[in-house]
Amino acid sequence: MPGFEYLVAALTLWHIFLALSGVIAGTVIGSLPGLTATMAVAVLVPITFSMAPSSALILMGAIYTGAIYGGAYAAILLNTPGTPSAIATTFDGFPMARRGEGDLAISIACLASVTGGFVGAAFLLMLSPPLAKVALAFGPVEYFWLAVFGLTLISALSEGNLLKGLMGACFGLLLASVGIAEISADVRFTFGSQVLLGGIETVSALIGLYCIPVLIDLVATPDKHLKVTHQPRGFRFFEALAISWKAKLSLLRSSVIGTLVGILPGAGGSIAGLVAYSEARRTSSRREHFGKGEPEGILATESANNATVGGGFIPTLVLGIPGTPPDAVILGALLIQGVRTGPSLFTEGGSIVYTFIYGLFIATALMLPVGLVIGRYAYRTIITVPKAVLVPTVAFMTMIGTYAIRNSVSDIIIMIVLGVIGWILNRFGFSPSPIVLGLILGRIAEQGFVQAWTIGAATGELWKMFFGRPISLAIIVFILFSLSYPLLRARWSRRAGRT
Amino acid sequence: MRVKIDTRFLIGLISAFLLSVASFVHADDYPTKPVSYVIPFGPGGESDITARHQQPYFKKLYGQDLVISYKPGGGGAVGWAQLNKMKGDGYNIMGINLPHIIIQPNQKDVGFKTEDITGVFMFHYTPDAIVVNNDSEFQTLAEMVAYAKENPGKLTFSGSGKGTANHLAQLRFDKMAGIKTTYVAFKGTGKAVAALLGDQVRAEWGYTSVGAQHAENVRMLAVAMEERHPKFPDVPTFKELGYDLVSGAYRGIAVPQSTPEPIRRQLSEMIGEINADPEFRARMENDGMALLDVDYDGYTEFIEKMSAIYLEAAREANIIQ
Amino acid sequence: MTTRSPQPKRDIGGMATACVFIVLSCIALWDTTTMMDSDSYVFPRAIAIALIVFSLLLILYNLIRPGERAPVTAGGESTPRRVMLVAVMLLSCFAMPWLGFLLCGMVSFGLLMMVSMYEPWTTKRRLIYPVVAVAVVAGFYTLFSTFLMVPLPVGFLFE
Repeated sequence: MPGFEYLVAALTLWHIFLALSGVIAGTVIGSLPGLTATMAVAVLVPITFSMAPSSALILMGAIYTGAIYGGAYAAILLNTPGTPSAIATTFDGFPMARRGEGDLAISIACLASVTGGFVGAAFLLMLSPPLAKVALAFGPVEYFWLAVFGLTLISALSEGNLLKGLMGACFGLLLASVGIAEISADVRFTFGSQVLLGGIETVSALIGLYCIPVLIDLVATPDKHLKVTHQPRGFRFFEALAISWKAKLSLLRSSVIGTLVGILPGAGGSIAGLVAYSEARRTSSRREHFGKGEPEGILATESANNATVGGGFIPTLVLGIPGTPPDAVILGALLIQGVRTGPSLFTEGGSIVYTFIYGLFIATALMLPVGLVIGRYAYRTIITVPKAVLVPTVAFMTMIGTYAIRNSVSDIIIMIVLGVIGWILNRFGFSPSPIVLGLILGRIAEQGFVQAWTIGAATGELWKMFFGRPISLAIIVFILFSLSYPLLRARWSRRAGRT
Repeated sequence: MRVKIDTRFLIGLISAFLLSVASFVHADDYPTKPVSYVIPFGPGGESDITARHQQPYFKKLYGQDLVISYKPGGGGAVGWAQLNKMKGDGYNIMGINLPHIIIQPNQKDVGFKTEDITGVFMFHYTPDAIVVNNDSEFQTLAEMVAYAKENPGKLTFSGSGKGTANHLAQLRFDKMAGIKTTYVAFKGTGKAVAALLGDQVRAEWGYTSVGAQHAENVRMLAVAMEERHPKFPDVPTFKELGYDLVSGAYRGIAVPQSTPEPIRRQLSEMIGEINADPEFRARMENDGMALLDVDYDGYTEFIEKMSAIYLEAAREANIIQ
Repeated sequence: MTTRSPQPKRDIGGMATACVFIVLSCIALWDTTTMMDSDSYVFPRAIAIALIVFSLLLILYNLIRPGERAPVTAGGESTPRRVMLVAVMLLSCFAMPWLGFLLCGMVSFGLLMMVSMYEPWTTKRRLIYPVVAVAVVAGFYTLFSTFLMVPLPVGFLFE
């Protein structure tokens, strides 16, 4: 284990101050829908120029990890993923908040994020160079299958109506291809409109599909946004701790999944959360409660998405290849500082890297008190603010947040229109989640497929390309397993009933 | 349910608003306030990094901040389509990239034409290069060409996108060398490099900046420059090896069409001065970039020259009609 | 409107949506013919065809076995307020290039307050709410424009 002296170097007052302010700022920024971790880090870049590289990294790492956690607030309280990483948090977080357990949900999210953050950072500390090889072993075809695996979650999300779920996903996949194609440069499905050239921005689509329907239904009745059963009951910290302890295995597994997915450049927090959620649901004894406000669902996604922070730094620092979009910005900042990433950074530049990693641990630890306090404040605000203030505030937040993603007014219009479409579709029994899955996974699936096909055709090994690589095969087995699991399970329980 | 519009409430709202509106300040000398520098791509890319390199020198030389913001979408097209709608007072400038601004308008209607863009300075280019892993079987470009001749289409290159500098370089080189190779497009240089490092492809059509950033793992077979890059004195140019290929991703700065002539010239000089700063040059070259000094007067001629080259290559490859 | 009929109904909404999806897919398929690179059209074509197949299956399924899963529609709500919410948000987007973000934000904030107000306008509320509106909008505006350096539109009329 790398030197203790780096821990001492990380534990200066200055670094603790940076970590604390980074986590606070990140949590606040991440909680605003539309402000992603990428933006939070990008805003900081000029400030870090005057700092030492390890201090700059600590600050950016802290704001990054805080922003990923902050995304949970909006997901739980407003059904709006504040960052794409928090998509799966809405599945159980919002139902919990609805029945008056938003405070508990937030405390659980905080505990899970801290756990995930620690696990990710621990992998970063101890196994970086070997794990970076995982990032390289993942070729186009593996990304394709990983995206398909993510899509199998549709069968779980579209309660009882698989056809509608599949239709929604296809709709999402088509939406994903609007605009100038990301790799092939053709203009698709814009029908002459310049507004659509840039395509449908994922985060603004998320805001539209999840948040606008909530707003539309919120104004329609005088009822409270969230049910308030009791007076706010403090942090409910020990209750959250007990729940997390009971699900410790699932928590750990989700954190490891998050770290591994974070290592893959081109996957990211949203996929980590979805995969972890899907695995947690499959293996849980309470699987039928998932999607209806099951704390274990929040534990899974929130631990996984914060684990991607540490995981994503692995290829960033070892290979100079950003693991996640915020890592790309951090890598850029390091380049400007004159720091060269690469395997030697861990040997020759050890003081920078290891001081930073211990700083990341400190930031993650600070996230516990910061997260609980800000979370409690956010919850109390949401439940006490009168509806006539809440609705315009949330509406304004969605608009300014959507604008800020690409500095574009047309994105706000697209967001609202998608929201209305989502609301209508929901009334007809099409839930928004399959559409979102299609939208997010569509690009990854398409690029992976096209690249794998091109390479396979060039080398004349098309079949081997898709079905002959060990990692692909493993993912395919997982896909088949998770698709047939409900059937197998039914058969097992029937057999068990007979004996 | 009826919603009543309450006039007293409205009056309250409007008066409260009026109190909060700030007034504008006007001045004559340029620049007297921060200049907004829009990058039509997301943060973290090379366009962002080079702009970030310019940022401190702008402040040092002219005492005003250069504020970078991003307007990503459509491979830059979304930003360029809005360039001329911005206020032309010298405080709004935008990054421009070649071959993007030449290829895109020729593919479909993307909301702008190449000649709509008023470039004031092209300040650098990142030269194209063929990059292979350290342990690659190809030691020289000649070996690679020989392999490609024997195995048409089998040699796979990763690269960033289609219709991009990487892709056009591949098309042009294939024609010059009389070979057929397979170009696999990835989203961005980072992912193209990952594919190379992971042995998903045999080589990459990348940039000299890739050689600089990943010096521990990769080497370059040739660079598309007039002369060898100062950071890589051992890597030959394509020209030396008999292929007339000088290309890369060119970057510059443009202003809205309504910007007055004196300000255009002044900006052009200013960017040129930043380019002349020895410290700036050293930093850029250390990152593997090559500096370029095409000022406002030379811009049109430069674009015409590059257009002819790019459009021919793109037409032959069926990227444009 | 709650579905009050005791008998299970055909899922008309689902079928109508399926028809819309089929039309959309056909338009998408037609659009793919204008693309030049096979990399660009292979995937969307496959998806569009899949969407048509799924939609047809849904319609077929509903025709053969009606009354299986009529979706539950919640009821008793104010549709005018819903429409106004969306209208205010959209209108403020269209006005934004002219009026700027700040003014649009404040006006739409005030209008949305009225749309979502279910309690009577007491004097106290009349005094406090506009202040809240301005404070929230100005606060977010400052946060975004100053600290996050987002170039929010100023509006042609104020330039």
